[in-house]
Amino acid sequence: MAIFNIKKKEIECKIVYYGPGRSGKTTNMEYLYKTYKKQVVGEMVSVDTEGDRTLFFDFLPMGLGQIKGFDIRVQVYTVPGQVQYSSTRKLVLKGVDGVIFVADSLAVRREKNMLSLKDLQHNLKEYGINILKIPLIMQHNKRDLAEQGLPLMSIEQMERDLNRQLKVPSFSASAITGDGVGATLKECLKLTLLSFKKQFKSG
Amino acid sequence: MNIAKKIKILLQEAELYHSQGLLNEAMEKYNNAKELIQSNEQLKTNQNLINGISKKILALKEDINKIEKAPKKPEISGKMQDLIKKMVSFSPDKNEDLKALDGAIALAKFGQIKRAISEFNELIKTDSLRIVAAKNMLRCHMALSSMDEAVAQYEQWTSDQRFSTIQLDKLRVFLENILKKEGVEKKLPKREPPKDSIDQDQVEGPDVEEDADIIDINSMGITIYRGPNKGQVVEFKVKFQLGNKVSLLIPIRDKDLIDVFKVGDIINDIQYYSAAALYRGSGTVTSVKEIKIGPLRGDYCVDIKILLK
Repeated sequence: MAIFNIKKKEIECKIVYYGPGRSGKTTNMEYLYKTYKKQVVGEMVSVDTEGDRTLFFDFLPMGLGQIKGFDIRVQVYTVPGQVQYSSTRKLVLKGVDGVIFVADSLAVRREKNMLSLKDLQHNLKEYGINILKIPLIMQHNKRDLAEQGLPLMSIEQMERDLNRQLKVPSFSASAITGDGVGATLKECLKLTLLSFKKQFKSG
Repeated sequence: MNIAKKIKILLQEAELYHSQGLLNEAMEKYNNAKELIQSNEQLKTNQNLINGISKKILALKEDINKIEKAPKKPEISGKMQDLIKKMVSFSPDKNEDLKALDGAIALAKFGQIKRAISEFNELIKTDSLRIVAAKNMLRCHMALSSMDEAVAQYEQWTSDQRFSTIQLDKLRVFLENILKKEGVEKKLPKREPPKDSIDQDQVEGPDVEEDADIIDINSMGITIYRGPNKGQVVEFKVKFQLGNKVSLLIPIRDKDLIDVFKVGDIINDIQYYSAAALYRGSGTVTSVKEIKIGPLRGDYCVDIKILLK
Protein backbone atom coordinates (compact mmCIF):
# COMPACT_ATOMS: atom_id res chain seq x y z
CA MET A 1 0.00 0.00 0.00
CA ALA A 2 1.46 3.36 -1.00
CA ILE A 3 2.66 5.77 1.65
CA PHE A 4 1.27 9.29 1.34
CA ASN A 5 3.39 11.72 3.31
CA ILE A 6 1.42 14.93 3.35
CA LYS A 7 4.09 16.85 5.31
CA LYS A 8 6.89 15.96 2.91
CA LYS A 9 4.48 16.10 -0.06
CA GLU A 10 5.65 12.66 -1.12
CA ILE A 11 3.98 9.54 -2.44
CA GLU A 12 5.93 6.31 -2.19
CA CYS A 13 4.69 3.22 -3.96
CA LYS A 14 5.89 -0.32 -4.56
CA ILE A 15 6.07 -2.12 -7.90
CA VAL A 16 6.96 -5.82 -8.03
CA TYR A 17 8.24 -7.81 -11.01
CA TYR A 18 6.82 -11.33 -10.77
CA GLY A 19 7.23 -14.36 -13.00
CA PRO A 20 8.83 -17.79 -13.29
CA GLY A 21 12.52 -18.38 -12.69
CA ARG A 22 14.83 -17.22 -15.47
CA SER A 23 12.07 -15.26 -17.23
CA GLY A 24 14.10 -12.03 -17.13
CA LYS A 25 12.86 -10.06 -14.11
CA THR A 26 16.36 -9.11 -12.95
CA THR A 27 17.38 -8.33 -16.54
CA ASN A 28 14.44 -5.92 -16.77
CA MET A 29 15.66 -4.18 -13.64
CA GLU A 30 19.27 -4.10 -14.80
CA TYR A 31 18.16 -2.42 -17.99
CA LEU A 32 16.18 0.18 -16.04
CA TYR A 33 19.19 0.82 -13.82
CA LYS A 34 21.51 1.30 -16.79
CA THR A 35 19.16 3.32 -18.93
CA TYR A 36 17.04 5.53 -16.68
CA LYS A 37 19.89 7.08 -14.70
CA LYS A 38 17.97 10.31 -14.17
CA GLN A 39 15.10 8.50 -12.50
CA VAL A 40 17.20 6.09 -10.46
CA VAL A 41 17.76 7.56 -7.00
CA GLY A 42 20.04 4.94 -5.43
CA GLU A 43 21.96 1.77 -6.02
CA MET A 44 20.38 -1.36 -7.41
CA VAL A 45 20.63 -4.01 -4.72
CA SER A 46 20.78 -7.62 -5.76
CA VAL A 47 21.72 -10.92 -4.16
CA ASP A 48 22.34 -13.78 -6.53
CA THR A 49 22.89 -17.36 -5.61
CA GLU A 50 24.52 -20.19 -7.53
CA GLY A 51 23.82 -19.97 -11.26
CA ASP A 52 22.90 -16.26 -11.20
CA ARG A 53 19.53 -16.95 -9.66
CA THR A 54 17.93 -14.23 -7.58
CA LEU A 55 18.11 -15.26 -3.96
CA PHE A 56 15.81 -12.98 -1.99
CA PHE A 57 14.89 -10.09 -4.28
CA ASP A 58 16.38 -7.25 -6.30
CA PHE A 59 15.66 -3.67 -5.38
CA LEU A 60 15.83 -0.42 -7.32
CA PRO A 61 14.70 2.95 -5.93
CA MET A 62 13.35 5.40 -8.50
CA GLY A 63 11.98 8.92 -8.47
CA LEU A 64 9.52 10.04 -11.10
CA GLY A 65 9.47 13.75 -10.45
CA GLN A 66 6.36 15.58 -9.30
CA ILE A 67 2.66 15.15 -9.90
CA LYS A 68 0.45 17.93 -8.53
CA GLY A 69 3.21 19.04 -6.19
CA PHE A 70 3.86 15.56 -4.81
CA ASP A 71 7.20 13.81 -5.29
CA ILE A 72 6.58 10.32 -6.64
CA ARG A 73 9.02 7.77 -5.29
CA VAL A 74 8.92 4.19 -6.49
CA GLN A 75 10.42 1.13 -4.90
CA VAL A 76 10.90 -1.48 -7.61
CA TYR A 77 11.39 -5.09 -6.52
CA THR A 78 11.76 -8.44 -8.24
CA VAL A 79 10.83 -11.74 -6.61
CA PRO A 80 12.95 -14.89 -6.78
CA GLY A 81 11.31 -17.04 -9.44
CA GLN A 82 12.49 -20.46 -8.33
CA VAL A 83 9.64 -22.60 -7.04
CA GLN A 84 11.23 -23.23 -3.63
CA TYR A 85 11.20 -19.51 -2.72
CA SER A 86 7.44 -19.29 -2.38
CA SER A 87 7.46 -17.77 1.10
CA THR A 88 10.01 -15.16 0.01
CA ARG A 89 7.82 -14.17 -2.93
CA LYS A 90 4.92 -13.67 -0.57
CA LEU A 91 7.00 -11.43 1.70
CA VAL A 92 8.20 -9.33 -1.21
CA LEU A 93 4.61 -8.81 -2.35
CA LYS A 94 3.64 -7.28 0.99
CA GLY A 95 2.27 -3.78 0.44
CA VAL A 96 2.50 -4.01 -3.35
CA ASP A 97 0.77 -1.33 -5.43
CA GLY A 98 1.43 -2.59 -8.95
CA VAL A 99 2.68 -5.82 -10.51
CA ILE A 100 4.53 -6.57 -13.75
CA PHE A 101 4.27 -10.23 -14.70
CA VAL A 102 7.28 -11.22 -16.79
CA ALA A 103 6.31 -14.25 -18.86
CA ASP A 104 8.90 -16.32 -20.71
CA SER A 105 8.14 -16.61 -24.43
CA LEU A 106 10.05 -19.88 -24.82
CA ALA A 107 7.63 -22.67 -25.69
CA VAL A 108 9.30 -24.98 -23.16
CA ARG A 109 8.39 -22.55 -20.37
CA ARG A 110 4.67 -22.44 -21.09
CA GLU A 111 3.62 -24.41 -18.03
CA LYS A 112 6.02 -22.50 -15.75
CA ASN A 113 4.38 -19.22 -16.80
CA MET A 114 0.94 -20.50 -15.93
CA LEU A 115 2.06 -21.91 -12.59
CA SER A 116 3.76 -18.66 -11.69
CA LEU A 117 0.67 -16.62 -12.54
CA LYS A 118 -1.39 -18.92 -10.35
CA ASP A 119 1.17 -18.49 -7.58
CA LEU A 120 0.86 -14.70 -7.95
CA GLN A 121 -2.92 -14.92 -7.69
CA HIS A 122 -2.62 -17.09 -4.59
CA ASN A 123 -0.08 -14.86 -2.86
CA LEU A 124 -2.06 -11.71 -3.60
CA LYS A 125 -5.18 -13.37 -2.23
CA GLU A 126 -3.31 -14.12 0.99
CA TYR A 127 -3.01 -10.35 1.41
CA GLY A 128 -6.67 -9.85 0.51
CA ILE A 129 -5.85 -8.49 -2.96
CA ASN A 130 -7.87 -9.55 -5.98
CA ILE A 131 -5.64 -10.11 -9.01
CA LEU A 132 -8.37 -8.64 -11.20
CA LYS A 133 -8.27 -5.37 -9.27
CA ILE A 134 -4.59 -4.63 -8.73
CA PRO A 135 -2.72 -2.66 -11.42
CA LEU A 136 -1.12 -5.49 -13.40
CA ILE A 137 0.86 -5.52 -16.65
CA MET A 138 1.83 -8.59 -18.65
CA GLN A 139 5.20 -8.66 -20.35
CA HIS A 140 5.99 -11.31 -22.98
CA ASN A 141 9.75 -11.38 -22.64
CA LYS A 142 12.57 -12.90 -24.69
CA ARG A 143 10.98 -12.18 -28.07
CA ASP A 144 14.54 -11.72 -29.45
CA LEU A 145 15.23 -15.44 -29.05
CA ALA A 146 13.19 -16.20 -32.16
CA GLU A 147 16.17 -14.95 -34.17
CA GLN A 148 18.31 -17.65 -32.63
CA GLY A 149 15.93 -20.33 -33.81
CA LEU A 150 14.43 -21.27 -30.46
CA PRO A 151 10.75 -22.22 -30.52
CA LEU A 152 8.74 -19.35 -29.04
CA MET A 153 5.04 -19.20 -28.30
CA SER A 154 3.07 -16.79 -30.40
CA ILE A 155 1.78 -13.68 -28.65
CA GLU A 156 -1.75 -14.93 -29.34
CA GLN A 157 -1.06 -18.17 -27.54
CA MET A 158 0.51 -16.38 -24.57
CA GLU A 159 -2.44 -14.04 -24.37
CA ARG A 160 -4.79 -17.02 -24.43
CA ASP A 161 -2.81 -18.81 -21.75
CA LEU A 162 -2.22 -15.92 -19.40
CA ASN A 163 -4.38 -12.96 -20.22
CA ARG A 164 -7.71 -14.35 -21.41
CA GLN A 165 -9.46 -13.59 -18.15
CA LEU A 166 -7.26 -10.82 -16.78
CA LYS A 167 -7.37 -8.69 -19.96
CA VAL A 168 -4.59 -6.46 -18.68
CA PRO A 169 -2.29 -4.39 -20.90
CA SER A 170 0.52 -6.49 -22.32
CA PHE A 171 3.84 -5.78 -24.00
CA SER A 172 6.26 -7.76 -26.11
CA ALA A 173 9.75 -7.29 -24.79
CA SER A 174 13.36 -8.28 -24.84
CA ALA A 175 14.86 -7.28 -21.52
CA ILE A 176 18.35 -8.04 -22.80
CA THR A 177 18.06 -5.46 -25.60
CA GLY A 178 15.70 -3.20 -23.68
CA ASP A 179 12.82 -3.45 -26.14
CA GLY A 180 9.54 -2.92 -24.32
CA VAL A 181 11.15 -2.61 -20.88
CA GLY A 182 10.49 1.09 -20.35
CA ALA A 183 7.03 0.90 -21.89
CA THR A 184 6.05 -1.92 -19.52
CA LEU A 185 7.09 -0.03 -16.40
CA LYS A 186 5.58 3.20 -17.65
CA GLU A 187 2.20 1.55 -18.17
CA CYS A 188 2.35 -0.08 -14.75
CA LEU A 189 3.11 3.25 -13.09
CA LYS A 190 0.30 4.90 -15.02
CA LEU A 191 -2.21 2.29 -13.84
CA THR A 192 -0.88 2.45 -10.29
CA LEU A 193 -1.20 6.23 -10.07
CA LEU A 194 -4.69 6.04 -11.61
CA SER A 195 -5.61 3.50 -9.00
CA PHE A 196 -4.46 5.89 -6.22
CA LYS A 197 -6.55 8.62 -7.76
CA LYS A 198 -9.62 6.35 -7.73
CA GLN A 199 -8.98 5.33 -4.11
CA PHE A 200 -8.70 8.98 -3.11
CA LYS A 201 -11.96 9.84 -4.83
CA SER A 202 -13.86 6.95 -3.27
CA GLY A 203 -12.20 7.53 0.16
CA MET B 1 14.20 -33.98 -41.81
CA ASN B 2 17.17 -36.30 -41.73
CA ILE B 3 18.45 -37.56 -38.43
CA ALA B 4 21.74 -35.64 -38.53
CA LYS B 5 19.88 -32.38 -38.91
CA LYS B 6 17.48 -33.31 -36.09
CA ILE B 7 20.40 -34.02 -33.79
CA LYS B 8 22.10 -30.77 -34.76
CA ILE B 9 18.95 -28.79 -33.94
CA LEU B 10 18.54 -30.57 -30.60
CA LEU B 11 22.14 -29.82 -29.65
CA GLN B 12 21.81 -26.17 -30.67
CA GLU B 13 18.64 -25.84 -28.60
CA ALA B 14 20.36 -27.48 -25.66
CA GLU B 15 23.24 -24.97 -25.86
CA LEU B 16 20.85 -22.05 -26.03
CA TYR B 17 18.75 -23.27 -23.10
CA HIS B 18 21.97 -23.75 -21.14
CA SER B 19 22.98 -20.18 -21.92
CA GLN B 20 19.56 -19.04 -20.69
CA GLY B 21 20.13 -20.86 -17.40
CA LEU B 22 17.36 -23.33 -18.24
CA LEU B 23 19.36 -26.33 -17.15
CA ASN B 24 16.60 -28.94 -17.03
CA GLU B 25 15.40 -27.96 -20.49
CA ALA B 26 18.98 -28.18 -21.81
CA MET B 27 19.38 -31.59 -20.19
CA GLU B 28 16.20 -32.85 -21.86
CA LYS B 29 17.45 -31.78 -25.28
CA TYR B 30 20.86 -33.41 -24.77
CA ASN B 31 19.15 -36.62 -23.65
CA ASN B 32 16.85 -36.53 -26.70
CA ALA B 33 19.87 -36.11 -28.96
CA LYS B 34 21.71 -38.97 -27.25
CA GLU B 35 18.71 -41.28 -27.55
CA LEU B 36 18.39 -40.47 -31.26
CA ILE B 37 22.04 -41.27 -31.83
CA GLN B 38 21.86 -44.53 -29.90
CA SER B 39 18.78 -45.66 -31.80
CA ASN B 40 20.41 -45.11 -35.17
CA GLU B 41 22.44 -47.98 -36.61
CA GLN B 42 24.89 -45.71 -38.44
CA LEU B 43 25.44 -43.24 -35.62
CA LYS B 44 25.42 -45.44 -32.55
CA THR B 45 29.00 -46.46 -33.17
CA ASN B 46 30.13 -42.81 -33.19
CA GLN B 47 31.60 -42.96 -29.73
CA ASN B 48 33.14 -39.48 -29.96
CA LEU B 49 29.73 -37.91 -30.47
CA ILE B 50 28.14 -39.91 -27.65
CA ASN B 51 31.02 -39.13 -25.29
CA GLY B 52 30.82 -35.43 -26.12
CA ILE B 53 27.12 -35.33 -25.27
CA SER B 54 27.62 -37.43 -22.14
CA LYS B 55 30.21 -34.91 -20.93
CA LYS B 56 27.75 -32.07 -21.48
CA ILE B 57 25.07 -33.97 -19.54
CA LEU B 58 27.49 -34.61 -16.70
CA ALA B 59 28.47 -30.93 -16.54
CA LEU B 60 24.80 -29.96 -16.46
CA LYS B 61 24.11 -32.44 -13.67
CA GLU B 62 26.92 -30.86 -11.66
CA ASP B 63 25.48 -27.38 -12.24
CA ILE B 64 22.00 -28.51 -11.18
CA ASN B 65 23.50 -30.17 -8.12
CA LYS B 66 25.37 -27.00 -7.16
CA ILE B 67 22.16 -24.99 -7.39
CA GLU B 68 20.23 -27.49 -5.32
CA LYS B 69 22.93 -27.63 -2.67
CA ALA B 70 23.49 -23.86 -2.47
CA PRO B 71 22.41 -22.44 0.91
CA LYS B 72 18.80 -21.34 0.67
CA LYS B 73 19.15 -18.52 3.17
CA PRO B 74 22.79 -17.48 3.54
CA GLU B 75 23.90 -14.62 5.75
CA ILE B 76 23.81 -11.38 3.74
CA SER B 77 25.24 -7.90 4.17
CA GLY B 78 23.90 -5.46 6.77
CA LYS B 79 22.77 -3.18 3.95
CA MET B 80 20.63 -5.94 2.46
CA GLN B 81 19.29 -6.84 5.90
CA ASP B 82 18.24 -3.21 6.39
CA LEU B 83 16.49 -3.39 3.06
CA ILE B 84 14.56 -6.49 4.13
CA LYS B 85 13.34 -4.57 7.18
CA LYS B 86 12.38 -1.60 5.07
CA MET B 87 10.60 -3.77 2.53
CA VAL B 88 8.25 -5.52 4.95
CA SER B 89 7.53 -2.47 7.07
CA PHE B 90 6.24 -0.62 4.01
CA SER B 91 2.86 0.27 5.45
CA PRO B 92 1.20 3.55 6.30
CA ASP B 93 -1.08 2.08 8.96
CA LYS B 94 1.32 0.83 11.59
CA ASN B 95 3.19 2.47 14.39
CA GLU B 96 6.99 2.35 14.54
CA ASP B 97 7.09 -0.42 17.16
CA LEU B 98 4.98 -2.76 15.03
CA LYS B 99 7.04 -1.91 11.96
CA ALA B 100 10.19 -2.78 13.90
CA LEU B 101 8.62 -6.05 14.98
CA ASP B 102 7.62 -6.86 11.37
CA GLY B 103 11.17 -6.09 10.31
CA ALA B 104 12.70 -8.40 12.91
CA ILE B 105 10.27 -11.22 12.04
CA ALA B 106 11.10 -10.79 8.35
CA LEU B 107 14.83 -10.99 9.09
CA ALA B 108 14.19 -14.29 10.84
CA LYS B 109 12.09 -15.55 7.92
CA PHE B 110 14.87 -14.60 5.50
CA GLY B 111 17.27 -16.66 7.60
CA GLN B 112 19.15 -13.68 9.07
CA ILE B 113 18.88 -15.22 12.50
CA LYS B 114 21.76 -13.50 14.33
CA ARG B 115 20.58 -10.04 13.30
CA ALA B 116 16.98 -11.00 14.12
CA ILE B 117 18.02 -12.03 17.65
CA SER B 118 19.69 -8.68 18.13
CA GLU B 119 16.56 -6.85 16.90
CA PHE B 120 14.23 -8.88 19.13
CA ASN B 121 16.54 -8.18 22.05
CA GLU B 122 15.99 -4.46 21.45
CA LEU B 123 12.23 -4.92 21.13
CA ILE B 124 12.08 -6.62 24.52
CA LYS B 125 12.61 -3.13 25.97
CA THR B 126 9.16 -2.17 24.63
CA ASP B 127 6.49 -3.23 27.13
CA SER B 128 3.80 -4.05 24.60
CA LEU B 129 6.11 -6.21 22.45
CA ARG B 130 8.10 -7.93 25.20
CA ILE B 131 6.44 -11.34 25.05
CA VAL B 132 6.18 -11.60 21.29
CA ALA B 133 9.79 -10.47 20.91
CA ALA B 134 10.97 -12.90 23.57
CA LYS B 135 9.12 -15.84 22.02
CA ASN B 136 10.57 -15.05 18.61
CA MET B 137 14.02 -14.73 20.15
CA LEU B 138 13.69 -18.20 21.65
CA ARG B 139 12.54 -19.53 18.28
CA CYS B 140 15.59 -17.94 16.64
CA HIS B 141 17.92 -19.65 19.13
CA MET B 142 16.21 -22.93 18.32
CA ALA B 143 16.59 -22.25 14.58
CA LEU B 144 20.32 -21.92 15.13
CA SER B 145 20.04 -25.45 16.58
CA SER B 146 21.01 -24.02 19.87
CA MET B 147 18.58 -25.48 22.38
CA ASP B 148 21.02 -24.74 25.18
CA GLU B 149 21.18 -21.10 24.10
CA ALA B 150 17.38 -20.86 24.23
CA VAL B 151 17.30 -22.36 27.71
CA ALA B 152 20.18 -20.13 28.87
CA GLN B 153 18.37 -17.11 27.47
CA TYR B 154 15.19 -18.01 29.36
CA GLU B 155 17.16 -18.57 32.55
CA GLN B 156 18.79 -15.19 32.14
CA TRP B 157 15.35 -13.57 31.85
CA THR B 158 14.24 -15.10 35.14
CA SER B 159 16.45 -12.57 36.88
CA ASP B 160 15.55 -9.76 34.48
CA GLN B 161 13.14 -7.45 36.31
CA ARG B 162 11.60 -6.22 33.04
CA PHE B 163 9.75 -9.54 32.86
CA SER B 164 6.85 -10.03 35.25
CA THR B 165 6.29 -13.42 36.83
CA ILE B 166 3.27 -14.07 34.64
CA GLN B 167 5.21 -13.15 31.50
CA LEU B 168 7.99 -15.50 32.54
CA ASP B 169 5.46 -18.27 33.17
CA LYS B 170 4.15 -17.82 29.62
CA LEU B 171 7.65 -17.98 28.22
CA ARG B 172 8.48 -21.03 30.32
CA VAL B 173 5.42 -22.95 29.08
CA PHE B 174 6.14 -21.83 25.53
CA LEU B 175 9.75 -23.00 25.66
CA GLU B 176 8.94 -26.24 27.45
CA ASN B 177 6.43 -27.06 24.71
CA ILE B 178 8.98 -26.41 21.98
CA LEU B 179 11.55 -28.54 23.78
CA LYS B 180 8.97 -31.31 24.18
CA LYS B 181 8.29 -31.23 20.42
CA GLU B 182 12.04 -31.64 19.91
CA GLY B 183 11.96 -34.66 22.20
CA VAL B 184 13.55 -32.91 25.17
CA GLU B 185 11.71 -33.24 28.48
CA LYS B 186 13.06 -30.40 30.57
CA LYS B 187 11.57 -28.56 33.53
CA LEU B 188 12.66 -24.96 33.42
CA PRO B 189 13.10 -22.90 36.57
CA LYS B 190 10.27 -20.61 37.73
CA ARG B 191 10.60 -17.29 39.41
CA GLU B 192 8.68 -17.25 42.68
CA PRO B 193 6.62 -14.06 43.06
CA PRO B 194 7.35 -12.02 46.21
CA LYS B 195 4.60 -12.82 48.74
CA ASP B 196 3.67 -9.27 49.67
CA SER B 197 3.74 -7.72 46.22
CA ILE B 198 1.12 -7.46 43.54
CA ASP B 199 2.38 -8.63 40.18
CA GLN B 200 2.04 -5.91 37.59
CA ASP B 201 0.10 -8.25 35.31
CA GLN B 202 -2.66 -8.33 37.88
CA VAL B 203 -3.20 -4.61 37.55
CA GLU B 204 -2.37 -4.03 33.90
CA GLY B 205 -4.73 -4.71 31.04
CA PRO B 206 -3.78 -7.08 28.25
CA ASP B 207 -1.14 -5.76 25.88
CA VAL B 208 -0.40 -6.94 22.35
CA GLU B 209 0.96 -10.19 23.67
CA GLU B 210 1.05 -12.70 20.88
CA ASP B 211 0.31 -16.32 20.85
CA ALA B 212 2.62 -16.92 17.94
CA ASP B 213 1.37 -20.46 17.37
CA ILE B 214 -2.00 -19.26 16.17
CA ILE B 215 -2.99 -19.98 12.59
CA ASP B 216 -3.15 -17.33 9.86
CA ILE B 217 -6.70 -16.05 9.53
CA ASN B 218 -7.82 -14.81 6.11
CA SER B 219 -11.35 -13.75 6.98
CA MET B 220 -13.93 -13.93 9.74
CA GLY B 221 -17.67 -14.52 9.74
CA ILE B 222 -19.31 -12.50 12.51
CA THR B 223 -22.98 -12.60 13.48
CA ILE B 224 -23.91 -8.96 13.86
CA TYR B 225 -24.98 -8.44 17.43
CA ARG B 226 -26.07 -4.79 17.46
CA GLY B 227 -27.85 -2.31 15.20
CA PRO B 228 -30.11 -2.64 12.14
CA ASN B 229 -28.28 -5.69 10.74
CA LYS B 230 -28.52 -7.67 14.00
CA GLY B 231 -28.62 -11.42 13.33
CA GLN B 232 -26.97 -11.27 9.92
CA VAL B 233 -23.68 -13.07 9.35
CA VAL B 234 -21.16 -10.78 7.68
CA GLU B 235 -17.78 -11.90 6.39
CA PHE B 236 -14.88 -9.53 7.06
CA LYS B 237 -11.49 -9.80 5.40
CA VAL B 238 -8.53 -9.70 7.74
CA LYS B 239 -6.19 -6.91 6.68
CA PHE B 240 -3.47 -7.61 9.19
CA GLN B 241 -2.68 -10.21 11.82
CA LEU B 242 -0.19 -10.17 14.64
CA GLY B 243 -0.44 -13.39 16.60
CA ASN B 244 -3.89 -13.59 18.11
CA LYS B 245 -4.79 -10.05 17.19
CA VAL B 246 -6.42 -9.32 13.84
CA SER B 247 -7.34 -6.04 12.20
CA LEU B 248 -10.42 -5.66 10.04
CA LEU B 249 -10.80 -2.76 7.66
CA ILE B 250 -14.35 -1.46 7.32
CA PRO B 251 -15.07 1.21 4.70
CA ILE B 252 -16.89 4.31 5.87
CA ARG B 253 -19.78 3.45 3.53
CA ASP B 254 -20.55 0.56 5.90
CA LYS B 255 -21.15 2.89 8.85
CA ASP B 256 -23.83 0.54 10.21
CA LEU B 257 -21.20 -2.17 10.57
CA ILE B 258 -18.62 0.16 12.13
CA ASP B 259 -21.18 1.16 14.78
CA VAL B 260 -21.60 -2.48 15.81
CA PHE B 261 -18.13 -2.69 17.35
CA LYS B 262 -17.36 -1.10 20.70
CA VAL B 263 -14.10 -1.58 22.58
CA GLY B 264 -14.50 -4.33 25.17
CA ASP B 265 -17.30 -6.18 23.34
CA ILE B 266 -16.98 -9.94 23.58
CA ILE B 267 -18.13 -11.51 20.31
CA ASN B 268 -19.26 -15.10 20.53
CA ASP B 269 -19.51 -17.61 17.72
CA ILE B 270 -17.03 -16.17 15.23
CA GLN B 271 -16.08 -18.30 12.24
CA TYR B 272 -12.38 -17.93 11.48
CA TYR B 273 -11.35 -18.91 7.97
CA SER B 274 -7.73 -19.88 7.36
CA ALA B 275 -6.31 -21.07 4.03
CA ALA B 276 -6.88 -24.66 5.07
CA ALA B 277 -9.79 -24.82 7.45
CA LEU B 278 -12.65 -23.17 9.29
CA TYR B 279 -12.38 -22.64 13.02
CA ARG B 280 -14.94 -21.44 15.53
CA GLY B 281 -14.19 -19.21 18.43
CA SER B 282 -14.86 -15.92 20.10
CA GLY B 283 -13.08 -12.61 20.27
CA THR B 284 -12.76 -9.33 22.12
CA VAL B 285 -12.85 -5.95 20.41
CA THR B 286 -9.67 -4.18 21.55
CA SER B 287 -9.70 -1.09 19.36
CA VAL B 288 -11.92 0.79 16.89
CA LYS B 289 -10.05 3.57 15.13
CA GLU B 290 -10.65 5.85 12.20
CA ILE B 291 -7.82 5.93 9.64
CA LYS B 292 -6.66 9.52 9.44
CA ILE B 293 -4.23 9.53 6.52
CA GLY B 294 -3.66 7.87 3.17
CA PRO B 295 -6.03 6.53 0.55
CA LEU B 296 -8.11 4.72 3.18
CA ARG B 297 -8.69 7.92 5.16
CA GLY B 298 -12.12 7.88 6.78
CA ASP B 299 -12.35 4.07 6.85
CA TYR B 300 -12.17 2.27 10.17
CA CYS B 301 -9.77 -0.29 11.55
CA VAL B 302 -11.26 -2.71 14.10
CA ASP B 303 -8.84 -4.82 16.16
CA ILE B 304 -10.08 -8.09 17.60
CA LYS B 305 -8.24 -10.40 19.95
CA ILE B 306 -9.21 -13.90 18.88
CA LEU B 307 -9.83 -16.97 20.94
CA LEU B 308 -10.18 -20.26 19.08
CA LYS B 309 -12.19 -23.12 20.58
